[in-house]
Amino acid sequence: MKPRNMGLILAALVLLAGLPWYGSDLLIQFGINALLLAVLAQGWNIIGGYTGYASFGNSVFYGLGSYGVAIAMVQWHLPFGIGMGFGVVLAVVFAVLIGVPVLRLKGHYFAIATLALAAVMTAIVSNVGLAGQNIGLVLPPLNDDRLFYELSLGLLTITTLTIWALTHSRFGFGLIAIRENEEGAAVMGVNTTLYKVTAFALSGIFSALAGGIHAYWITFLDPDSAFDLTLNVKMIIMAVFGGPGTVFGPIVGALSLSAVSEFLSSEVTSIAGLFFGVVIVAAVVLMPRGLADLLRRGRKMGWGYFAENIRRHRL
Amino acid sequence: MKPLLEVRHATRKFAGLVALKDVSFTLAPGEILGLIGPNGAGKTTVINLISGTLKPSAGEIVFRNEIINRLPAFRRARLGIGRTFQIMQPFPGLSVLENVAIGALFGRDGGHAKLATAREYARECLEFVGLDNFIDKRADELGGPGRKRLELAKALAMQPQVLLCDEVMAGLNHVEIDEVIYIIRKVRDRGISVLVIEHVIKAIMSLSDRLLVLHHGEKIAEGEPDAVLEDPVVIEAYLGKRRS
Amino acid sequence: MNGILQGGLYAVMALGMALVWGVLNIVNLAHGAFIMLGGYLSWCLFTYLHIDPFLGLPLTFIIMFMLGYALQRGLINLVIRAPMFNTLLLTFGLQVVLTYLAQLVFSADFRTINPPYAGNSVAVGSVVVPEVRLAVFCVAIILTVGMWQFLLHTRLGRAIRATAQNLTAARLYGVEPRHLYAMTYGLGIALAGAAGTLHGIVSQIHPYVGASLTAKSFAISIIGGLDNPLGVLVGGLFLGIVESLTTVYIGQTYADVASFGILVLVLIVRPRGLLGRAK
Repeated sequence: MKPRNMGLILAALVLLAGLPWYGSDLLIQFGINALLLAVLAQGWNIIGGYTGYASFGNSVFYGLGSYGVAIAMVQWHLPFGIGMGFGVVLAVVFAVLIGVPVLRLKGHYFAIATLALAAVMTAIVSNVGLAGQNIGLVLPPLNDDRLFYELSLGLLTITTLTIWALTHSRFGFGLIAIRENEEGAAVMGVNTTLYKVTAFALSGIFSALAGGIHAYWITFLDPDSAFDLTLNVKMIIMAVFGGPGTVFGPIVGALSLSAVSEFLSSEVTSIAGLFFGVVIVAAVVLMPRGLADLLRRGRKMGWGYFAENIRRHRL
Repeated sequence: MKPLLEVRHATRKFAGLVALKDVSFTLAPGEILGLIGPNGAGKTTVINLISGTLKPSAGEIVFRNEIINRLPAFRRARLGIGRTFQIMQPFPGLSVLENVAIGALFGRDGGHAKLATAREYARECLEFVGLDNFIDKRADELGGPGRKRLELAKALAMQPQVLLCDEVMAGLNHVEIDEVIYIIRKVRDRGISVLVIEHVIKAIMSLSDRLLVLHHGEKIAEGEPDAVLEDPVVIEAYLGKRRS
Repeated sequence: MNGILQGGLYAVMALGMALVWGVLNIVNLAHGAFIMLGGYLSWCLFTYLHIDPFLGLPLTFIIMFMLGYALQRGLINLVIRAPMFNTLLLTFGLQVVLTYLAQLVFSADFRTINPPYAGNSVAVGSVVVPEVRLAVFCVAIILTVGMWQFLLHTRLGRAIRATAQNLTAARLYGVEPRHLYAMTYGLGIALAGAAGTLHGIVSQIHPYVGASLTAKSFAISIIGGLDNPLGVLVGGLFLGIVESLTTVYIGQTYADVASFGILVLVLIVRPRGLLGRAK
């Protein structure tokens, strides 16, 4: 990585870390939300962007993480850290148990299976007493937005570092090989099942951690909001918009789309939603490989970039 | 000398169609075995059974004295079985070098552990097959002959003990065919056994130590190339095909 | 009993999605939104032009068909050769656009189509059911069987099936792919619109109903299998029955668990669906 880029990134990090001191309360709250979404997008990036398995089940990991922290703190009176650990354990167990059969499915089918799972989990959890059933749980309040902000930023940094390490590791190459040609990868010696499940679990861990932080931050949790599918959809859109399979793409996607959405929400919600949809449609047609690719190649090709994308993909 | 690879009474059925029936042969260390036969004879199925892409309906695949029937494809790769695909299977989004590096990273005994050494080895393999000018090109930018060589390089990067070549000369002109023959000979000189499936008879005649002929899923001849080609059964199989 | 009637409706809903999916390999995430649209369309026809929804069905069908054709030809065609993920996103974007458009135009109120005979009931065997439900069910069956026959016997139907099997071969037979794709998509959307009309008669329409309807159609398409309209019918009926049984015996909240649980099971055990052919 070029030293100049490294310097820029460090500078950005310092700037972001210092936000709680110079930003308004509203900005800090926006920041926490955006950062957590970025973590989710990055988590999805591991299984969706690098391994090529579009998972709709990451919201389940998020929910498991939230409930892990909630149950640990509310029902068993354990500290936050242990709660996070518990959430992670839940996520990993789920990833392995469910991952092995479900990851055998390809393409559309995998996506739908995970989608169905998400729906099932919501229903199941709303019937479990320990989790407070339909009513949900209320966590002990902690009024320190700064702490949550820094925690979120820290989590994002760790997640991104992990992905960066991935791209320079044998494991990461294996995942990319699986994405590009799974049969070919197997024949060359990649243990596809092990790798897929590991990627799934890894992506789950980060999603769960994000869920845990979020739960403690808003101190309230119920099945519908914890396992909310629109969250999964959001993280996918952000990751894909920013550039799946890249290290920084999802972050850019998450932050930019959050900002746009926040800005528009102050206007009429329907128009905001409408605009959002139009943006998605336009983006898919004009820049199917995400912002990252647009920035990299669009600069060289100018307007022709868009025409090229359309020409490549139309019938 | 004990054979490196043994196929014993291999049979493979597909929903009523018998693709292979009771096929047996051996492959010795450092030997080039040619496999020919009319289209649909079951040649690719043989390779699929050895590499683990398919499991046999009956019979055994024995590698270095171990029965490997139950092993999944990636474990057989780790044992040292490498193959090329007739319908080429590159990793399209990756560069040529990265394609081969995957082979280096995951081949025999789990391949290289470090990316840097894997890349180095991949470079060597690409030089070996003559693709060193294309190292940074995207894999899907290569033309037909280039892709065939990429298949070879990928398989070689796995440091195989057995290389299964599925029609690596299809669609090549005379010059390119000679180059591939040269490469396969170099491969054998390194001590790797090669099983070559080909339609180009002249090429396989000059390459093979021994020749195996399949027809309708059954072995109809095996032995020295010259002797096999004069076998009336073999001539019948080919001529018969041409007549119909 | 209720389950069966509901199941028929489900089947029609899923029919359009299964068609588009099986032939074009597009998972139309906006399918539910189109159902919603069809419902609103019929509602408009009913409220402003006083056209009975059942009579207005063909009109709705045609309008939605044209919409679908134009949409496919103009928009979806642009990403057809991209990785399938892109079409997923595109249809998702469409769904968002349609949902918010509907909200802008129709506001978020719940609406139903209430023809004057909506209150009547009729006795079927030992059970008493609302007349409209029965009528909806019959229409649903007619549509499904009609679709099946269409695919089997008409020239266009056969062309569609051929394209589903093998695009290159179909081309050799003189099928113009862009036109055919658009026709298929138009048909799928028309079916969705019809389903929307039916849905609007027996339950409520509102802008956000799209997403859950899409999900249901997913489930049914997979459970029933993508190749065969009869399979979709079976899937729809199956789901309808399962849902009503679960609601009655176990509890409302578990109805969703049951349907999606079955979906997951089917995916793992028999991915081609109950009646589908192997891919």
